Amino acid sequence: MPARPRRTRGWVGLSRTRAAAATSVTGALTLVAVAGCGSSSSGTTPAASTGASASSDSRTVDVVITSDGCAPAQTSYTSGPLTFKVSNKDATGVSEIELLSGERILGEKENLAPGFSGSFALALSAGDYTLYCPGASTEKTGLKVTGGTVTKAPTTTSALLAQGTKDYAQYVNTQVALMIENTQPLVDAIQKNDLTAAQAAYGKARPYYERIEPVAESFTSGKDNLDSDIDARADDVPAAEWTGYHRIEKGLFQDKSTAGLQAYATGLLANLKKLQSLTKDLTYQPAELANGAVGLLDEASKTKITGEEERYSHIDVLDLQANVEGSEQAFAALKPGLTNIDPTLTDTIATRFAAVDTLLDKYRSAAAIGGFELFTSLSKADTTAIAQAIQAVSEPLSQVAGKVVNS
Amino acid sequence: MVAGGAGYGIAAATEDDHSGSAAAEQWAFYGSHQAGIATPAQDKLAFAAFDVTSSAVDDLQAMLGAWAAAASRMTAGLPVGSVETLPQSPPVDTGEALGLPPASLTITVGFGPTLFDDRFGLESRRPAALADLPALPGDALDPTRSGGDLCVQACSNDPQVAFHVIRNFARIGRGTAVMRWSQLGFGRTSTTSTTQATPRNLMGFKDGTNNIKSEDSAAMDRFVWVGDETDQPWMRGGSYLVSRRIRMLIESWDADYLADQQNVFGRAKDTGAPLNGTQEFDKVNLTAKTASGELVIPAEAHIRLASPDSHGGQKILRRGYSYTDGNDPTTGQLDAGLFFIAFQKDPRKQFVPIQQLLGRRDALNEYIKHVGSGVFAVPPGVSAVGDWFGKSLFR
Repeated sequence: MPARPRRTRGWVGLSRTRAAAATSVTGALTLVAVAGCGSSSSGTTPAASTGASASSDSRTVDVVITSDGCAPAQTSYTSGPLTFKVSNKDATGVSEIELLSGERILGEKENLAPGFSGSFALALSAGDYTLYCPGASTEKTGLKVTGGTVTKAPTTTSALLAQGTKDYAQYVNTQVALMIENTQPLVDAIQKNDLTAAQAAYGKARPYYERIEPVAESFTSGKDNLDSDIDARADDVPAAEWTGYHRIEKGLFQDKSTAGLQAYATGLLANLKKLQSLTKDLTYQPAELANGAVGLLDEASKTKITGEEERYSHIDVLDLQANVEGSEQAFAALKPGLTNIDPTLTDTIATRFAAVDTLLDKYRSAAAIGGFELFTSLSKADTTAIAQAIQAVSEPLSQVAGKVVNS
Repeated sequence: MVAGGAGYGIAAATEDDHSGSAAAEQWAFYGSHQAGIATPAQDKLAFAAFDVTSSAVDDLQAMLGAWAAAASRMTAGLPVGSVETLPQSPPVDTGEALGLPPASLTITVGFGPTLFDDRFGLESRRPAALADLPALPGDALDPTRSGGDLCVQACSNDPQVAFHVIRNFARIGRGTAVMRWSQLGFGRTSTTSTTQATPRNLMGFKDGTNNIKSEDSAAMDRFVWVGDETDQPWMRGGSYLVSRRIRMLIESWDADYLADQQNVFGRAKDTGAPLNGTQEFDKVNLTAKTASGELVIPAEAHIRLASPDSHGGQKILRRGYSYTDGNDPTTGQLDAGLFFIAFQKDPRKQFVPIQQLLGRRDALNEYIKHVGSGVFAVPPGVSAVGDWFGKSLFR
């Protein structure tokens, strides 16, 4: 649905024409996860003591965060695998630490309240790095690595993220094609005045748009107000201008007739094809994917969980699941690169997405139009649980744009 | 205000306090007891109960640690973290309290009975005094306004400062805990310090005249603070919080005649004096009789049945707030009343028997309904930076 008056944040939030930031990688810098367990970041635990004990191991970088800053035990280390052991002694305004190369985040540890410690591991080539603990008096402290280049040259984070945006562009194009393919039977059934077939086809046609809504929403100015033309609800636009999926929904599910819907059906299909021509060559920035992913969850928890979106057919759970799936796909495209930057955050988001998926699977119903139980059958406890599970994803997901924007 | 001998103290009002007003007052966050119990009751309340949704004890600990760090900052009038973040990152603090003085903000965290089930390995750490409240006479409890794994009481003289705590705690807890219910209180109904005048409740009466005053350290030790008698050493220096959302049937009350209203409470409406006296702080005489031989303070009067004399000398520290949540959609009547909060050493010996008697006999029952309930173990104070709410519980 088109959000009014404020646009949902999404791809429109960032200039699509802006050049990719920091796509070049200095030759000296490479980054690999330390061999061993799959994740290169440990959990956060209450520290046994308030300060980290100094380590004699030269491969360990001990960092004690104080309200003054986050200086490492030594100012210089030799290249190769390094484990950063971080504890927060008394910095109540600091909850995380990042290792930066320039403005790029190479690794980080979050949830470090005073009294807690954690670690992350990286292989660093010779160069100048920065330990960054936002909120301390001195937020940035230099860290020098001497020696050579780490021999194993993995795919760089920026290359992984760039590949992710290409994968995502492909995903969008696939969804648009499927949307057209699945809207055609709806149009056909309406032309044949077959109400039952049209109602079933409506449910089959709906999820594609909801998966990629922020992309379509970016075409909202001038004569290409496609989001409104395709997905406006009754009160979003003046009655005379109301067209698209929900106008058809009203006819099929409230008026229970295909009468007068033919023009809307052919108009919808034409608009979908226009959308296809506008989106097929789009390229995206990693931060746009991150913001779009959050925007989709906003959609889910704003209009789907209230039953406002599909007010005649009540197939809101299908739309909601499609919003979540689209958000998860955008996240999945960023995941390989994001894992390099922040494996813990990546795991947290993935785990919480999985929890939402599991929760929504409970409402699948093969017999229902759209494949999910109708919104009207959900209790307040059901909608609360879904909304809370989505919020649990949104919070860490909202951190992603800031992590990938300079990578 | 003075710090007194208790484990809390008022920090010096900020040096650059231009206004010199009470709003700038600040209570120390670190201490042997949590603030918000013995500290004088502020004017506004934001209270919330949370359920822990994560099954990982590490998540719970990290959240309690982050809450403590945030609380230490908010009680000092500081944001929980940077508001100026990278353009592509959300601000760490939500921002609505920026520039506002703490206005005597206190933040008090408690643990409900359900936290000690089998999820976090805390079964053996549950204090005996944290028993589930039994069904009490007259209960009309709504489960969606009752219970909870955790509670947070934020009190301030500025409602936005108090709300800011609950909002940011909920945000910090996202993915680990969800809010189960919450309650705003718009005016204190209790006096917890000799420096304060007794406020009136929504029935128009001065209530809690004989409340425990925090200056009475012997009474605090006897009735409020958990001591060596506890079966759980981690609770020493803590207390137990009982919350009750008590809906007042205001429209019925307003139609009651003055003499009956006064007999229901046992006090005069205007002065607050007990019916046997003329001044608010006149001693309550439960045996005084009229010339015709009737009890001056009726047998079912609220102050008689709530009096320590009716309970073997037991007392509780009341710290409640008036609330309203709009009107009842069924009747159109005001949904308003008392959000009762009481602190005590052992609810089994204090709140429960007191309420068992009140619930059966109190004349006030005709005009009130207990619709929400909670009991929480409030651990001792966060001792210093690096400590956090209930850290010793997890050792």
